[in-house]
Amino acid sequence: MSITFKKVSHIYQKDTPFAYKALDKIDIHLQQGRMTAIIGATGSGKSTFIQHLNALLLPSEGSINICDREIRSDEKPKNLKELRKQVGLVFQFPEYQLFEETILKDVCFGPKNFKVTQEEAETTAKQMLQIVGLNESYYAISPLDISGGQKRRVAIAGILAMNPDILVLDEPTAGLDPQGAKDMMKLFKELNTVHKKTVLLVTHDMDHVLEYCDDVVVIKDGHIEKHCDVSSFFQDCEALREMGICPPAVIQLKEQLQQKGFAIEKQALSLQDIVKAIVKEVKQ
Amino acid sequence: MNGISLGKYLPLDSCFHRLDPRAKIGALLMVMIAIFLPAGFLGYFIIGASVLVATYLSKLRLNFLWKAMKPMLFMLIFLLIVNLLVIKEGTLLFQIGSFGIYSGSLVQTLYIVIRLTLMVIITTILTATTKPLDLTLGIEDLLKPLKKCKVPAEEIAMMISLALRFIPTLMEETQRIMKAQMSRGIDLEEGKLKEKIMSILSLIVPLFVSAFQRAADLADAMEARGYVPSQPRTRYKQLRMQKKDYLFLIICLGIIIANIILWRLS
Ligand SMILES: Nc1ncnc2c1ncn2[C@@H]1O[C@H](COP(=O)(O)OP(=O)(O)OP(=O)(O)O)[C@@H](O)[C@H]1O
Ligand SMILES: [Mg+2]
Repeated sequence: MSITFKKVSHIYQKDTPFAYKALDKIDIHLQQGRMTAIIGATGSGKSTFIQHLNALLLPSEGSINICDREIRSDEKPKNLKELRKQVGLVFQFPEYQLFEETILKDVCFGPKNFKVTQEEAETTAKQMLQIVGLNESYYAISPLDISGGQKRRVAIAGILAMNPDILVLDEPTAGLDPQGAKDMMKLFKELNTVHKKTVLLVTHDMDHVLEYCDDVVVIKDGHIEKHCDVSSFFQDCEALREMGICPPAVIQLKEQLQQKGFAIEKQALSLQDIVKAIVKEVKQ
Repeated sequence: MNGISLGKYLPLDSCFHRLDPRAKIGALLMVMIAIFLPAGFLGYFIIGASVLVATYLSKLRLNFLWKAMKPMLFMLIFLLIVNLLVIKEGTLLFQIGSFGIYSGSLVQTLYIVIRLTLMVIITTILTATTKPLDLTLGIEDLLKPLKKCKVPAEEIAMMISLALRFIPTLMEETQRIMKAQMSRGIDLEEGKLKEKIMSILSLIVPLFVSAFQRAADLADAMEARGYVPSQPRTRYKQLRMQKKDYLFLIICLGIIIANIILWRLS
């Protein structure tokens, strides 16, 4: 169930004077079961990239292999519904997609589109609302009458209720309070480790990337600049700065300590590691 | 969404683009009047020729005008059929069963086709050569005399410019909500009627919610920046009629007069 892009390009408004190449011959292979962060400057093509994962956008050139399907630029794919059930995509500011009278009904909407019975849909919906941290008292409330953070939880529950194998999220924590954002990231991590879902998320928060993700993909001007695992990604601060990425707080702390003469090894990437290294050095 | 020509501004550089928007709106109204004068085919020939010259001068491609016409095609065919069945004037051309096709119906239909085509083309020329904002400035100025009889000219112009400003935003919003709901499994092409209605509902409700939200936010933002309806406002861009604008209007007046003469003579 891995994802492979082969020379995928995407051109917006093709064959018009406004044509714009947002993705340029992307080759990438994403493994199953990983939690991958997609980072890059605004306008680099992140949202364009992830919309190819459930065929909302189709490649202008190249082909994509996903969930045992091949999507090619030269033929119109059929029966995309199946793919969209397997790849759950949560848009940036998903709170705008809520429309039903009650929260429970709204979460049921996804599964019911995939021919699940009413009872089954409700059972899953309740489970998912539980997972995102909304209890029974919310079931009968209108999704338009709750706070922004809660709306986002409902929207994410709505996608989870379709039980996708791959969960794709576009800036899921943008505009949330720090605690809310943290809870959200923990939730995705749990979905990844406990529920074995492949998670891809676009984010601008390097602390989150370091703390929760396994892999990093850097997109720059429509091509993949770098694709590696998190620990090797954050070891080289110079390379990060060259890419215009501000290292996470912990890494900055490590850097400053190193400049002060502490011998902290490259692999130390968490506060615990750093503390251990300092303790060791002080004891000596 | 890229196939639509009607009402779209084309950023070209032509003498039509540089005309005063008030002159262009005035000219549009005059030519419209001329189109509705029953001056026969010679009258339409004069208007049609002028419109062709205007198209050439505004550097629009015929293809663009054709695209603007396309949505009207269905209506024209419908009109043709109705006319053929209803009008029983002129000479009988041929008989199918109990239905006769008369020459009068063909002539009538031809008139309507010409009128509609000309109207669509001149409106398209106006909107393609005038920035939406200039258009509203022009409308505001033209409505100003009506303020004496309590017509809120500035407010109307403000409403029009806000509406124009938000068309692309709403289009984008529709696209986004459509994609979001497609990710949740709606299928606008296949499925039963009930499912389709549900699908459309899932687009309309969020769209309305966000449109109202935007409107409320915008009203707050305008108030915060000191906008008070009906209070006099200064304006950064001043419109000024020049010689060429008057010349343009005189030409259009000439078209009307020519048509009136033809109508009286016939
Ligand atoms: N519908 C569209 N039509 C034309 N160009 C578009 C369209 N959508 C996006 N683009 C262009 O494609 C480029 C990539 O857009 P994209 O939304 O993928 O960026 P992004 O990396 O997600 O940025 P952000 O971090 O701001 O969300 C941008 O330069 C944008 O202007
Ligand atoms: Mg984006």
